[in-house]
Amino acid sequence: MLRIEELYAYYGMAQSLHGVSLSLAEGDIAGIIGPNGAGKSTLMDAIMGLVRTQGSIKLDGHEIRGLSPADLVKSGIGYAPERAHLFPYMSVRDNLLVGAYTARADIERNLELVHDLFPVLRERWAQETATQSGGERQMVSLGRALMTSPRILLVDEPTIGLAPRICSAIAEALLRLNRETGLTILIAEQNVNFAMELARHVHVLETGRIAVEGPAQQLRSDPELAKAYFGH
Amino acid sequence: MTMAGIVTSRHLLLWLLFGAAMLALPQFVSNGTIRIIIFANFLAIFAMSWDFLSGKTGYVSFGHPFLIGIGAYASAILSYRFHVPLEFSIPLAVLATLVGGTLFFLPALRIKGTYFALVTLAFMELMYQLIQVVRPDLTGGTRGMSGIKTVLTGAAPNFYLSFMLMFVIAFSLWLLSRTRLGTALDAIAMNEEAVSGSGLSTTRLKLFAFMVSATVAGIGGAFYVHYLGSIAPRALFDINFVFTIIVSALIGGASTIVGPMIGAFFMTFLLEYLRPVLPGSERYFVYGMIALVLYVYKPKGILAILADLRDGMRAQGTGRAQRGKAS
Repeated sequence: MLRIEELYAYYGMAQSLHGVSLSLAEGDIAGIIGPNGAGKSTLMDAIMGLVRTQGSIKLDGHEIRGLSPADLVKSGIGYAPERAHLFPYMSVRDNLLVGAYTARADIERNLELVHDLFPVLRERWAQETATQSGGERQMVSLGRALMTSPRILLVDEPTIGLAPRICSAIAEALLRLNRETGLTILIAEQNVNFAMELARHVHVLETGRIAVEGPAQQLRSDPELAKAYFGH
Repeated sequence: MTMAGIVTSRHLLLWLLFGAAMLALPQFVSNGTIRIIIFANFLAIFAMSWDFLSGKTGYVSFGHPFLIGIGAYASAILSYRFHVPLEFSIPLAVLATLVGGTLFFLPALRIKGTYFALVTLAFMELMYQLIQVVRPDLTGGTRGMSGIKTVLTGAAPNFYLSFMLMFVIAFSLWLLSRTRLGTALDAIAMNEEAVSGSGLSTTRLKLFAFMVSATVAGIGGAFYVHYLGSIAPRALFDINFVFTIIVSALIGGASTIVGPMIGAFFMTFLLEYLRPVLPGSERYFVYGMIALVLYVYKPKGILAILADLRDGMRAQGTGRAQRGKAS
């Protein structure tokens, strides 16, 4: 479904990705893990057309590299960026509705889905997101991405700074989404356990390069890899 | 984009009450006060025009007189030099503002923050210099033009005209700002990247905001010059004029449309009542101080103060009712 080949990304003159290749099958959940500065967020931003890139990014066989973020969303990619990136002085409702701009016909259905996944958002409907907890803000961010009716959801560091209980709720929501709607999900995470629990396929990113990749179970069961990358 | 659910009957009632009260005003106040209100109406139009672009999207323009000036000069030249009737010169002037403004401002909308502000300030200065030297036979050069045709004569008719203009513009912009489009514009000011990541074309949104803002500035500029009956570059392209527009919007409550309208009335009356005491430009020092104090203690402006008062009164009312029930 999504195929990235020899992708290079640049922030100004600095090169952040060095020939990253990976593919994501329809209905899959894949994880990108790696330490700070490995290039996880850059990879997400590169897919979303937010940084300068070279290489190839194909969605269903069509080249999408170079499209504007607006066109990428229209082609079915939803994005929940790192640290939520919400509109702080807007209500939960308005934050979600900004996401619904490109999928106006699906507003009711998508709202129902978001409320079903995160019931607390229904209660906090009129609350400004600046006054919400980190967990709730992350839920709004995921909700806003879901309001675009995505076929692939990119989620960048959804657990950063969150309590374990909230992380579990978010993991459960993402698994439910994948299970019940068949949504394809790509998660960039520093929290290895979180990513390994969700992803079927994992890519370990190191200084802008894929160092190791493979099925999550296989990586976890390899004692050397587990020691080197997963801390156990 | 539907209006259902975004405008309640209470909103409409408030707008109607405001309109009715203002229309009745000439019966109760002197012609002098009416003339002050006419200036307030025009300042409100300019402040709302600024607010729709800068208050909403966060792209702070210091060059709004550039747009107002295109509207004012275009209509003045057409009617004064070429004897074009006002019913044609005014719409043509608005069109000229839209086209001229888009040519200059559109490339500027690609840059952000301080740079955008400085570029727009440069546009105003450029216009000020050019208008004096390029075809002074048309523009009147440094002296400008006087004896320009007025739409109406007399304080009361001009009050009704300026108020109706201001009211229609205010209500239209207010409605527009309550749609999803308005929400998306507000979102740009908070996080442009996130708007883009949500699938919206921020370039199109900014262009839309600019075109609405330029249209309103053009309408205001054209009618303003045909109210004054004269135009001079020094009065129009003046830094104090820019600051009066911006401070009106900020002091009233930016990004709210209603706030800049309140701010414009506050500013106009403040400057007028200070005139006998401080006849020179020291008056601007006083309003600068008031603006400073307001930003420090209530950055969301007069509209937020009024909202707090309303909430306080409601809370008191609820408390009284609960105490009544308890006893």
